[in-house]
Amino acid sequence: MYYRIIRKDILKSKVITLTTMIFIAAAAMLVSLAAILVVNLSGAIDTLMTQAKTPHFMQMHSGEIDTGRLTAFAEEYGNVDEFQVLEFLNVDGAQIIFEERSLADNVQDNGLSKQGEKFDYLLDLDGNVINVSDGEIYVPICYMRDNTAKVGGKAVICGKEFTVAGFLRDSQMNSMLSSSKRFLVSENDYMEIKGLGSTEYLIEFRLKDLSALGAFETAYTSAGLETNGPTITYPLFKMINAISDGLMIAVILLVSALVVAIAFMCIRFTLLAKIEDDYREIGVMKAIGLRVTDIKKIYLAKYAAIAMVGCILGFALSFVLRGILLENIRLYMGESENSSFALLFGIIGILLVFLAIIAYVNGVLKRFRKISAAEAIRFGTSQEKSAGAKHFCLSRNRLFDTNIFLGVKDVLARKSIYVTMLAVLVISAFIIIVPQNLYTTISSKSFITYMGIGSSDMRIDIQQTDNISEKSVEILKTMKGDTTISKYAVLTTKTFKAKTEDGLEESIKIELGDHSIFPLEYSEGRAPVAEDEIALSVINANELDKKVGDVIPLVIEGKEKKLTVCGVYSDITNGGKTAKAVFNDNSADIMWSVIYAELMDKSLVGRTASEYANRFHFAKISGIDDYISQTFGPTISSIRKASFAAIAVALIITLLVTLLFMKMLVAKDRYSIAVMKAFGFTNSDITAQYVSRSVFVLIVGIVLGTLLANTLGEILAGILISSFGASSFKFAVNPLSAYLLSPLMMVCSVLIATTIGTSGVGQIKISENIKE
Amino acid sequence: MKKIIIGENIVKSFGEGDEKRNVLDVVSVEINEGEFVSVMGPSGSGKSTLMFALSGMDGIDDGKVVFDGRDLSALRENELADIRRTEMGFVFQQPTLLKNLNILDNIIIPSMRDNRKNAAEITEKARALMKKVSIEELEKRDITQVSGGQLQRAGICRALMSNPKIIFGDEPTGALNSKSAQEIMNIFSEINANGTAVMLVTHDATVAARTERIMFMRDGKIVSEMRLPKFIGTDINDRMEKVTAKMREIGI
Repeated sequence: MYYRIIRKDILKSKVITLTTMIFIAAAAMLVSLAAILVVNLSGAIDTLMTQAKTPHFMQMHSGEIDTGRLTAFAEEYGNVDEFQVLEFLNVDGAQIIFEERSLADNVQDNGLSKQGEKFDYLLDLDGNVINVSDGEIYVPICYMRDNTAKVGGKAVICGKEFTVAGFLRDSQMNSMLSSSKRFLVSENDYMEIKGLGSTEYLIEFRLKDLSALGAFETAYTSAGLETNGPTITYPLFKMINAISDGLMIAVILLVSALVVAIAFMCIRFTLLAKIEDDYREIGVMKAIGLRVTDIKKIYLAKYAAIAMVGCILGFALSFVLRGILLENIRLYMGESENSSFALLFGIIGILLVFLAIIAYVNGVLKRFRKISAAEAIRFGTSQEKSAGAKHFCLSRNRLFDTNIFLGVKDVLARKSIYVTMLAVLVISAFIIIVPQNLYTTISSKSFITYMGIGSSDMRIDIQQTDNISEKSVEILKTMKGDTTISKYAVLTTKTFKAKTEDGLEESIKIELGDHSIFPLEYSEGRAPVAEDEIALSVINANELDKKVGDVIPLVIEGKEKKLTVCGVYSDITNGGKTAKAVFNDNSADIMWSVIYAELMDKSLVGRTASEYANRFHFAKISGIDDYISQTFGPTISSIRKASFAAIAVALIITLLVTLLFMKMLVAKDRYSIAVMKAFGFTNSDITAQYVSRSVFVLIVGIVLGTLLANTLGEILAGILISSFGASSFKFAVNPLSAYLLSPLMMVCSVLIATTIGTSGVGQIKISENIKE
Repeated sequence: MKKIIIGENIVKSFGEGDEKRNVLDVVSVEINEGEFVSVMGPSGSGKSTLMFALSGMDGIDDGKVVFDGRDLSALRENELADIRRTEMGFVFQQPTLLKNLNILDNIIIPSMRDNRKNAAEITEKARALMKKVSIEELEKRDITQVSGGQLQRAGICRALMSNPKIIFGDEPTGALNSKSAQEIMNIFSEINANGTAVMLVTHDATVAARTERIMFMRDGKIVSEMRLPKFIGTDINDRMEKVTAKMREIGI
C-alpha cells in the first residue's frame, strides 16, 4: 500500500520531489566526502611523518653554531632519542634555474639540503628514503604541481648543472604554508656549492617520549642554546601538513551543513503544504480510529524513500568525486594506511544524513497530534490564524497596488510557510556578503594596519645574509643623499629572552629602532618612546599574559632589563609574535633588518624600488603595495575565488529554492487562484501577486542577511583573522558590490525563479478547480 | 427585449479518443436583459458546464457565445477576465472566499483591483450591500468565524459590487439549510427585481420554482423549457407543483 501511495505522490509532484532529492544527494555527497577525506588525510599524514621520521623538535638557527655544546646537551638530556644538525643552504631564487626559467619571482625561501643522516628523511613519491647520486637533484613536489620542473630536465643552481632525478616529499616543508623549500643534492655537490649561499642550521631532536615535548622545549631554552630562528615542534609540523587540506575539509563540512539545512527546509515546506492539502483526510483517518503513528508512517515512508535514493545517489557521487579531492593528499603525502576505513566512515556519514532526515520529518509530523479530527472534517483546513496581519486590511490600503498588497498580505498571514524561504534567502545573502567583505578588507590598503607596520611607500628587507648592520648602513647612506626620499627608518629585529611569570625563559623577537617615523595604529596604548618601553603584538601580549603598564623582564648578557608594556598592536606577520622597542643593543645577533621609506612623489615607487634593487642585490626591495600582494597575494586570490564561488552557490540555491517554493505554492493555491480568476483577476495579476510575495520575502531576507553578515559575519571573520594576530577587526565594505550589485543579483534570480515557478498559473482552469 | 447572452450550437467535450464525451452537445441558449432563469438537471447533465461556457470561464469546442454583443471566443484571456470582473457576478455552492482576507476585504477585492484610489467609496458601497443582506456586523471577521449562509451572502455582495449585467449562481443554496436557502433566494429575487439578469444552476425544484424560465438538461442537451410568471412571494407551492409535474413529464 505504501508503495502505491508513495509512487502516486511522487509522480504528482515530480519537480518538488526531484529538487528535494537533489539537495539530499548533495548533502549526503558532501558529508561522505568530508568523512573520506578526514580519514585519508590523517592516515596519510601519519604515514608520511612515520616514514620520514619527522623531528619532534626543530630549532632553526643562522649565525655561529656550537655543535659540541648541542651534542653534550642531547647526551645529557635523558629524553633525547636521536639528535642531528642539518644544514640548509639558502639560495637566492634567481640562482635556481629550470630550463631557462628562474625562481626569482618565487615567494618561497628555496635552498639545498643533504639527506638526513638519522632521521628527517626526504622521501620519493613512493615513500622511500631518497639516495641521491652526484649531479642529481630532487625537487620539492610543489614544483611538479606548477610544472616548473620535469624529471630528466636540467637545473642550474649557482652555476652548477644538475639533472632532475625526481621529486621529493618533505614532511617538514611540503605545505605551501611553510615558507622554506628543500632541494636534495648529494654530499659532494653540497660541499661544492656551500660557499655560494648563506647557511642556516636545522637543529633537530627526536624524543623518546613525545608527550614530554613541553618540558624539553623549556629545557632547551633554559640551556641557552642556539635560538636565532623559529622553533617548530612535531604537533606544529602535523598541523602545517594538515591545514591546507584540512581547510578544504572544513569548507566542505560547512557547505554540507548548509545544504543539509536547506534540504531540511525544503522538506519542512513540502511537508507543511502536504499536511495542509491532506488536512481533511488526516482528520478522517483520526476519526476512524487510526493511530497518529500509523498516519505518520504514510508520510515517513515517502521521505524515507526520497532520502534513501538521495543518499545512495550522494554516496555514488562521492565515490566519483573523491579521486579528484584525494589527488592533492596523495601527491603531497602519499597513500593513507587506513584508506579502507574511509569507506566505512563514508557510509557512517551517509547514514547520519539519512537518520537526521527521518528524525526531522518525524519531528515535523508531530503536529498531527494537534489536528482536531472534528475541525479537520468540518472545515478541511487548519483554523489557526496567524496574528499580526489582521490590521493590514485591503479596505484601508491606499499605498500599494492591489496585487502587491495581496502578495504582502499573504506573506504576513502565512508566516510559517514563508519563514522557510526567508531562512534560505538570509543564508544566501550572508554567504554572498561575508566572503566579499572579507576580500574587500584584505585587499584594501588599510589592511596594513593589521600587519604591524606603519604606512610607508617602500620596504627593503635585509635578511639571510651576513653583516646585516653594515649593509643597512650602506643603504641608509644612499637614502640620505637621495632627494626623492622624504623620510626613512631602519628597524632591526633581534631575538631576546624574556622571563615569564613562572620564571622560565622564552624567546621573543623584538624590532628595534625609531617607531615614531612610520607610526602604526595601536589597539591599546602607544608606540615605545623611552628606552624602557616595549610594545607587543596581540598574540605575544596574550601568550605572555601582559597588558599595557605591565613589566616584562628581558635577560640581556646575563642581566635583567625591565621593560614596561606601552602598547599592543595587531600583527599577522611572522606568526603574529612580534614586539617593538627603542633601546640600543649590541649583544644579540641581528636576525633581519627592514628599512621603510617614504617618497616625495608616490608615482615613482616602482622606479625607485627597481633602482635600489639593481644597486643592492643583497636586499629584497618592494613597493609597499607589492609587498602586501606578495605576502598575501595567494590568500587574497583564494579569498577572491572563494567569494565568487560563494556568490555562484548562493545564487543557485536562491534560484532553486525560490523555484521550488513557487511551484509548491502555485500547486497549493490552485483553488484560490481559480477563485480570483473567476471574479476577474488576470494571469498577470496573479503572477504579480506571486512576484510581490517573493520580492517582499527577498527584501526582508536581504536586510536580515546583510545585518547578520555585518554583525555575526564580522565577528566570525574577526575570530579567523585574530587567530593570525589581528585585534578589533572591522570589515572594509565596498558598498557598490555589497549593497547594490549583490542584492540586484539576488533580485534577478528570484524574479527568474518566480516567473518560471508561476508559469503554471495560466494553465489553472477555473472550471476544474471550482466546479461543484 | 435585448439579449444579454446568446449561445449558439455550443459543443464542449471532455476526455480523449474512445473516452471522449460531449458534455454540451450542440446547445443553444438565449438570456434576455433582466431575465431570471434557471437550469435544472441531474448530476452530470452538463448544467454547470453550460454556465461556465456562457460566462467565458471555460472555452468551448464548437459553436459561439455572444455576451452583450461581443463574441467571447474571439476575446483574449485578459479581456474575458475584464468582462467577468466588471460586467458579471458569480456565486458558487461553496463560498469561494479567500482565506487570508476578512469579509469586507473579500467583498471589495475585485473592485479594488481597478480602482484603488476610490477605496473609501468602494468600502462604503460594500458596507451598504452588507447591510442589505444583513451581514454588516461581520466586516472584520475572518471567513472561518461566520456561518455558511453568511459567507454566501458575502459572496453575493462581492458579485454585486461591479453592478453586473448578469449574475451566475452555481447551486448557490446547495450547501445551506432551508431557512438560509430561502433567505438567499429572496436576495436573488430582489437583485433581479432591480433589473439584473440572474442565471441559476440547480437541481433543487424550490430554487428553480422562484425563477421565470427553467431550462431542463439531460445528457448535454436542453430537453425542455418552461416559463412561469413573475414570483410574487405567495405562490411558491403552486409553482413547485408545476415544476415537479414538468420534471415527471420529461423524466428527470
